[in-house]
This record gives sequence, C-alpha cells and structure tokens, in this order.
Amino acid sequence: MIMGKRQLLIHGSELFLFGLLAAIPGFINNPYALGLLTLLAIYGILLIGLDVTVGYLGQVNLAQVAFLGLGAYTAGLSVTLLGMGMVPALLLSLVVGLVCGGLLAFPSLRLEGPQFALGTLSFSALTTTILNEWESLTSGAQGLSIVRPPLFGMHLKAQGFYWLCLGLLALIWFFMKNLLSGQWGRAFEALRDSPIATDAMGVGCFRYKVAAFAFGSSLGSLAGGLYAFNFLYLQPQSFTYDLMVILLLGVVLGGRKSLWGAVIGAMIIVLLPNLLSNRFLFHLFAAVGLTLAVVAAVRGRLHKTTPWFQALAPVIAMGLLLVGGFMIGNTEDWRKAIFALMLFSVVVGLPEGVMGFVGRFFSRLLRMAPRTLPISAPLEVVLPQLSPGNQPILTIDALQRHFGGVKAVDGISLSIRSGQIHGLIGPNGSGKSTVVNVISGLYPPTQGKIYKNGTILPTGSLYRVALNGIARTFQNLQLFGELSALANVMVALRGMYRTPFFFILLGLARSEEQKAASHAMALLELVGLAGKSATPAKDLTYGDQRFLEIARALARRPELLILDEPAAGLSRPDIRQLMHIIRKIHQLGVTIILIEHHMDVVTALCDHVTVLDGGKIIAEGTPQAIKRDPKVMEAYLGEIPAVQQEQAEEGAC
Amino acid sequence: MLICEQVHAGYGNVRVLHGISFAVQAGKVVALIGANGAGKTTAMRAISGLIGPDQGSIMLDRQPIHHLEAARIAHLGLAHVPEGRHVFAPLTVEDNLLLGAYGWLPRLFGFRRKAAQEMDRVMQLFPKLAERRRQLAGTLSGGEQQMLAIGRAIMARPKVMLLDEPSMGLAPVIVQEVFSIIRRLKDQGMTLLLVEQFASHALAVADYAYVLERGRIVVQGYPEELMKNEQVVTAYLG
Amino acid sequence: MNRTMILQMIVSGALMGQVYALIAYGFQLTYATSKSINFGQGELVMLSAFFSLTLINWGIAYPLVVVGGLLFGAVLGLFVERAGVRLALEQKSEGWILLTIILGLFGFSTAENIWGRDDRPFPTPISSDPIHIFGIGITPLEVSVILGVFAVMGLIEGFKRYTLLGKAFAALAADRDAAGLMGISATRTIMLSYALSGFVSAMAGILIAPITTVGPTMASTLILKAFSVAVVAGLDSGFGVVITGLVLGAIESLTSFFLGSGWREAPGLLLLILALAVRPTGLFGKTTIRKV
Repeated sequence: MIMGKRQLLIHGSELFLFGLLAAIPGFINNPYALGLLTLLAIYGILLIGLDVTVGYLGQVNLAQVAFLGLGAYTAGLSVTLLGMGMVPALLLSLVVGLVCGGLLAFPSLRLEGPQFALGTLSFSALTTTILNEWESLTSGAQGLSIVRPPLFGMHLKAQGFYWLCLGLLALIWFFMKNLLSGQWGRAFEALRDSPIATDAMGVGCFRYKVAAFAFGSSLGSLAGGLYAFNFLYLQPQSFTYDLMVILLLGVVLGGRKSLWGAVIGAMIIVLLPNLLSNRFLFHLFAAVGLTLAVVAAVRGRLHKTTPWFQALAPVIAMGLLLVGGFMIGNTEDWRKAIFALMLFSVVVGLPEGVMGFVGRFFSRLLRMAPRTLPISAPLEVVLPQLSPGNQPILTIDALQRHFGGVKAVDGISLSIRSGQIHGLIGPNGSGKSTVVNVISGLYPPTQGKIYKNGTILPTGSLYRVALNGIARTFQNLQLFGELSALANVMVALRGMYRTPFFFILLGLARSEEQKAASHAMALLELVGLAGKSATPAKDLTYGDQRFLEIARALARRPELLILDEPAAGLSRPDIRQLMHIIRKIHQLGVTIILIEHHMDVVTALCDHVTVLDGGKIIAEGTPQAIKRDPKVMEAYLGEIPAVQQEQAEEGAC
Repeated sequence: MLICEQVHAGYGNVRVLHGISFAVQAGKVVALIGANGAGKTTAMRAISGLIGPDQGSIMLDRQPIHHLEAARIAHLGLAHVPEGRHVFAPLTVEDNLLLGAYGWLPRLFGFRRKAAQEMDRVMQLFPKLAERRRQLAGTLSGGEQQMLAIGRAIMARPKVMLLDEPSMGLAPVIVQEVFSIIRRLKDQGMTLLLVEQFASHALAVADYAYVLERGRIVVQGYPEELMKNEQVVTAYLG
Repeated sequence: MNRTMILQMIVSGALMGQVYALIAYGFQLTYATSKSINFGQGELVMLSAFFSLTLINWGIAYPLVVVGGLLFGAVLGLFVERAGVRLALEQKSEGWILLTIILGLFGFSTAENIWGRDDRPFPTPISSDPIHIFGIGITPLEVSVILGVFAVMGLIEGFKRYTLLGKAFAALAADRDAAGLMGISATRTIMLSYALSGFVSAMAGILIAPITTVGPTMASTLILKAFSVAVVAGLDSGFGVVITGLVLGAIESLTSFFLGSGWREAPGLLLLILALAVRPTGLFGKTTIRKV
C-alpha cells in the first residue's frame, strides 16, 4: 500500500515522539528526570483510558483515580502476598479494572451528566474508604511497601522500568488507535451525540457504554500497577479527589479525543509541580497565559464570535494568576488555587484543549493532502434486491398511547403491505409521529400489539426493534453531529463488523473497514452525498442532513423503512431529489412508511394512504380516493368550501 | 398594534421564514393560514421571542421587540398560546392561571386577591376549569388543556394574543367549542393573531388573513375573497 | 451493649442526617430550575462557616453573625452561577460540572491560605450539655440544628408554594419555553435558585460548625452524604430529603459503631450507587418521557 503524505506525517511524528522519549535516558543521566519520564508514561496510559469516557463518551468521569488505586493495590498485593511476577501482577491489575469498570458501568448506564459524575465520584470515595479501612489486607493508612518483582527473571533498574512503561504506552497507543479509528470509536462517539439514534441504528448503547467504561477503567488500573512498581510504596491517601481533578486537568488541557492530547496532558501534569517550584518560570508562565488570553479575547470580540463572558473570564483568571503570583508567599501552598485558575481559563476559553487547537492548525496544513476517498461498492451488493410479496409485513392491532390525560393514539389498527409505500398523513397533533415512535420502540404502547411478518414485535426498545429489520429516520434530526457523513453511515451498517476484538486491536480490521467504507460510500452516492463524505454531519446543510438520515437508515438494510416527515423544511429542488431517492429505495423492494404533510409528495409516491385525526384513523385508501374523501377535506380544512369540492372532482377526472 | 416587517427566521441550519410582513390592528382578528410546514409556528415563535429573528423588525404597540427575550416581550403585553398547549403539567389548574398573570401580579403576597377578577372571568368562560381548579394540569384531557392554555393567556391581560393551532389534536366537537371561545374573545375586543391549519374555521372568525407558503406570504385579503381563491386551495392540497 | 445506646446512636445520627438533607435540598433548588447542581457546594458550606467564624471573632452578636453568614452564602451562590454555570447552560454543555468542581477547588485553596489548615472551634451561645429524655441524651445544640433545618426548609418551601415567584420555579422546571411566554425570565430565576441554594448551604455550615469544628475539610465528607441524600431521594422531590436524611444519618451512625468510624461514609456512597442503578430518578422522584 502506498502511504499518503498524510499517513507519512502522522506515523512519522508518532515514531519521532516515541523514539525521542526512548532515547532521552541515553543522553541525560539524571535519576530525577528519569522519574518524571516514568511518571509521564504511566499517566499517559491512565489518561488515554480516561479520555475514552471523558472525550469519546463525553461524560465527566470521576472514577479513574479509584481505578489507579485499585490497580496499584492489586499489583502490590499480588506481589507481596502471592509472590507473583511483574507480568501476572500487571495483568491481574488490568483484569480487576476491566471487571470493576464493567460492574460500575451497569448502574451508570442510564445516567447522563450530573448523575454519572455523582456515581463515579461515589465510587472513588468508596474505594478510598475501603483501601483505608481494610487494614488486614492493605495495611490501611500506614501504607504498603512493595519490592519490585522480576520481569521474566530480570530485575529491572529504574531505566529498564522506564522503558517497560514507555513500551506499554506505545503498545496501548497502537491498540487504541486501531480500536478508536474503527467501529468501536465511531460507536462511542455516536453514543455521545445521540443515544436514541445509536439504539435505533441497532448499535446498542448498552454494550458499547459498558465496554467503553471497562476499557477506560482497565487502562487506569494498569497504570495503577505500574504506579505501584514505580513508587514501591502505596498509601490510600494518594488516590483522592485532588488527584482526580488534576487528571481531569490533564485530559482537558491536553485535548479530548486524541492520543496525542493524552500524552501532552500527562506531560503537563508531570511538569506542573516543577513549574510551581520555580518562581521565575511560574511568573513567566502566568504572563504568557495572560497574553494568550488577552489576544484570544480581543480577536474573539473583534469577530464577535465569543460572548463577553467567555472572552473576559480567562483574562481575569490569568490576570489573577499573574498578580496573585507576586503577592503570595509560597506557590506550593496555593497549588490548588493555581490549578483551578488554569483549568478555569482552559475550560472556558479553550474548550477543545491544546491538541484541539494544534490539531486545527495541522488540519489546515493537512488539507493540502486530502485523505483518499473510498471507492463505492456496487449498490446491488450493498442493498440486495428484496422480492416482497403482497402480504402484510407489519400489522398493528388496536394500538393506544396516552400521555397523561391526552390520548395521542386512540385505538389504531392498521396493516402495512410488503413492498408498498404506505403514507401516514393527518393534521398536526393527529398522532402520526406517536404511531411511528411506538412502532420503532421509542415509547411503549399503552395498549395494543404490533406484529411483524406474523410474529409479535418487541415494544419499548429502539434497539430490539432495529434488530428486527426496521429502520427509521427522525423528524427532528438525530445525526451523530461530530462524525463525518461517511462515519454516520458506517456506524449503522448491519452485519458488517465481524473481526474478533483482539484482531481489531492488532490492526487487522483494515480490509473490513475498507469494505465498510465502500458500502457506506455507495449509500451516500444513492442520496447524492458522495462529495461530502468527509464533512461532519453538523456542518452539512439542512437538506443534506435529511438525506444523510435516510442513507444511515438504509445502512441497516431494512425490510421496512420508516421516514418521519423527510420533506419537512426542504426546498423545492430538495423535495424533488427526495422523491427520486424514495422511488429508488422502493424499487429495491424495501417497504416504506412515509409520514408526510406535503400532499403532493404523498400523492406522487404512495400506493396506499392512511389518514389520522385525533389519534384515530379517519380514512384509508389510494391517494386519489383520499383526496376526494370529505372527511379528509374536513380534517385538513375544517369544512369543505364549494370551490374545493369542485377542485377535488376535477382531480378525480 | 402588532407589525412585522421583512422577518426572516429559522432554526440552526434551516431558514424557515424568508421575509414575511404583516400587521394586526387593535381589536381585530388576523389569521395566518397555510399548510403544515409553511412556517406559521415559526412566525409565532419569532414574534414572541422564543427564537430570535435573523432579520427584520417586529413592533408591538409602536415598540420594537425583535431583539428582546421572550420574558421581556410577555411583560410588554404579548400573550402566546403555544402550539401543543404547553400547560405546566405538574401544577394545578389554578396555579397555571396565576402564572399566566405573572407579568403584572405582585410576586410575593396578595396576588390571589389581585387576580381574583381575571380568574372569575376565565372561570366563567371555561366552567370546566372551575370544576378542576385543584386538579393537576397534566391530567386534563387535550381539550381542557387547550382551554387552560387560552385561559392562562387571558390572565395576562394582553394587548395582543397569539393563538397557535388551537384545534390541534382535538376532536371536532371540542374544536367547535374552542372557536366559539375565540369568537367571544373577539367580541370582547381582544386583538388576536390566529394560526390555524383548519382554514375555514380560521377564516370564519378572522377580519383579515394572510396565506403562508414555504416561508413567504403568497396571498392576503379578506376572508370572503380568500375562500374563493384557488391559490389558497393549492397551498393546502398541493 | 444495650438498647438505649443503640437508640441514642440512631437519634444522634438522624439529627445529623438533617444537615445532609438541608444541603441536598439546596441541590434540588438549582436542579429544578436549571438541571444543574454545584459540585463545589461543600466548599460553599465551609467558606460560609469560616466567614461566620470571622464575624464572631470580630465580636458581632450571634444573630447578626447568622444573618451575615447566610447572606455571604447567597452571594457565593450567585458567583457560582455567574462564573461556573451560566455559560455552560447557554451552550447546552456539561461544562458546568467541571467548572463548579474547579470553583470549589479554588475556594478550598483560598480558605486554606486565609484561615489556615487547622480545625477551629466555633463558639455559639447554645449549650451542648445534653438533656435526657427516656435515657436518650439530646443537646440543645442538636435541637438547634433540627430547628434551623426545618425553619429554613419550611421558609423556602413556603416561598415556593405560596408565592407567585416560587411557583415560577416549578413552572420553569416543567416547561422552559412556556415559562418564558408567561414572562418568567429563566436567567433570573436560575440566579435566584443559586442564591437560595447558597443561603441554604450557609445555614448548614453555621448549624454544623459548632458540632464538627471549622476547617477547610469540614464539608468534604458532608457533601458526599448530601449527594447521596439528594440522589436517593430524587433531585426533584421536595421533602423526600428529610426522610432520606433521617434514615441515612441513622444507618451511618450504626455503621460507624459496629464497623468502626472509618466506614461511616460507606453506606451513603453505596446507597447512592445503588439508587442510581435501580432508580435514577430517586425513590421519591418522577420518571420522565424521552423526547425526539
């Protein structure tokens, strides 16, 4: 394979980083510096793990410090009590993190935002309590002394141990890069941007959220194992809330969703104490920070891109750091306040972190050598022709859905025939959207049953409905905003990802990735988005976002596709294109439920139309028959003025 | 009383309104009709400040309001009965009504007494609400919620009331009832801007009407004229 | 080991539990209006206690000290809202979690350097000699805690139920857009809720300071238990916190007796995790409907 300029730059800089880090002990024979480097490698591993939850899942995770502690004690105790060697001890640490992380993920699964943060915070505090109080095992506050165990019979000195840590960091970098650049990474990000759509695309929030948390945690506890063998003395009070805040500082400062960011973050954490101990360096740092904040503020205000608060707050914080720096006696005493000011400025003023900032700069550079676009697979391979009979594919029986006192769906029975485009229309508030939300599993029905091909369809779970060959789009778009258009489709591809997990880590899923990309590309072509495959979904125009929703739903290779108001907000040319796309999908034998209020679209496309009003069916039939139905006219217009009746009769001729 | 000029508005990437202009005179009922997705609700939301218009000006009683947030506009005398009713489900009917008058009532004490007169008026208009005074609004039926939403707006003693799709999701009998209330409000001299998809209902009460299609006003005129206009029909049935 | 001793512990624990309930109530106030809570609330409790201690040392009369401390707490609450919460809420991001943690850290460090790292006694005119009822000793100080908690909660709950401004809280929590249409300003109501939340936390600090002494870490475990109470009761459930506080306080006091004082935080933390697992909306909270 020929490497592009882009690849060369990326691989080159990675090799350079690790080469440099590995070579430093050769130049500098300084035990203190070596200690810092070792800590850098350990924290690097830890932060890569933390970034999975903080960066990819977008949740404030306060448990990583507990996993560091758990891993450290596991490794320490397995050496002192069980006499294990280094490799088994580290592996055990990893497994403990994996298991505890997985277990903790279960309660955290349904949680978002503050609840997630609170749950993980409690876990941390609980871990500290246990480490402190289970004295017979951990010797509590007295601390635990460890002798560094041999590695395959070798007794590592400081330098050897550093290389071990660095080697592990490089290995994890390699693994995580493979993992996060594929389906797993996409699924994590999808989960963050829209859990609802993730479930509806059959990806399954559950599995990925548990996995993400377990991975992240296991890296934390592996780092803990290394931490134990580095310091050779453990105390529960090392693993407290304060350290957690500093770790978050590392991820946020370094930049989320980036392996580079994690290592840079680790570098910052390791160097900070030294920065504080040197007065001159500290003042210099504060002055540089203030200058940057002022420049950013002036630029932001001139372009009117940043609100006043966002522009001024970092300036004030950095100003306080500079002025306060001259007033305080001992910087070490004010350590936490200084961290707080720095973190505050970054979170408010530079939310994407150092790497995000640098990354933007580089991406401008890299634009010169664009990523080569995948070649699309033939459409008949991606979406094999279905041969529908004319039997009912979906039968709804006396469906009801109430919200409080409001009966949004009030006893609807309906049958959708295979291979048809079935229109579902009705005035606003007539219950169309609620019907499809119940079918697709977003709401459980209050009463009634749904059958697909004669067997009962699970209700109340988007995920399980999705696995039954039903795909949908959303009226209020539920795209994965930060993923590219291509990645949005790739996430949803059904039956594509079969490479075993370990092979993915080793980077052996490339051919599968290429196949997935080519399939996704074919679907983007179908909806006319092939040229915008690399654009993040949130930056597409509104019309294109609607088309992307359709392409993504098609990636499920559905038997039944539910389109929820696909024409809403589209311009006339866009609507023409939409109709063209829907016809093409129909020709492939996919059954379609089309919810729409543009009557022209419905008339032109649908084989059969059901009209709802007030949560009940008021009419059914061909579009022509529907248009003449007085009840329908009434539902839409109130009552039928004479002129419209004439019009309707003309239409019938 | 209410004048919109060249208002453009939308959500995120979507531009929904492409410069609409219309006016509502004091004491008149003006209807904004059009098919679903024509931009009626967006127009309402732009007027009441729930979304900021991108361009254009909106004046309420000769005062520009397009740059103000919803709460300020409400204080200036604009009451908006939103699409989908949006009553405060976990609060009682009475509290919903009291909050309707949030703009002019004292905030701490004595508000019940001050609001008594308005409250009586609303209860007279909607006897059902009087029966359910202490019931939680979320447990009301759709029609009752619509009454409550209108009652809440009356409580505000507004200069202009916006009514967005008062018939949405309601049974035909209830729709009749809602429109008879609207007619009573009109008789009492309320200035009303009415958005409705049931064109004939709206035209039956309106003094003047505008037809919206894809974010533009395509026709305007007196109801009698519009009833006969073919463009109105196409705007609906495509 | 006799029954009176156990009862004694249950009673003292339950009394302490009311302080957790009070802070948890402060969380509910801001959660109702903005779906956010101040992760640095513990520092707010501590700073208010220190501030009140300073007032006492200046020789100001105790009732005035209380008023001063409460106002100080309210001002800090406003500061947290402005500096840590508003921007993030406007951007609809979870940044406020980090920002309130950061502000707490800053407050902690400042207190450490201004008032020192040592725990100091908090003098109060209220006696701490126990009065015995059925063999169970209760100090007037503990009684003052209960009275203080109920007074503040009753006051604010009364405000929420019987004033229009208070009803606006519930309206904002129920439907943000509709509240705006009624003329209820979200920004101002959120500010008010943060001020009240700060006020409530300051009360907690002043009430508990004579019992626990005042120091930078005085609230670091207190706050964890307040989180537990808030989550177990439900972040939007009013008086559920009182009962949860009673129960948690009692359990905690028994745990520390039977397992050793080091374990006293454990039940609260476990309960929090369990509650999140089983019923994220809390025992007293309502479930909500997902919307697309």
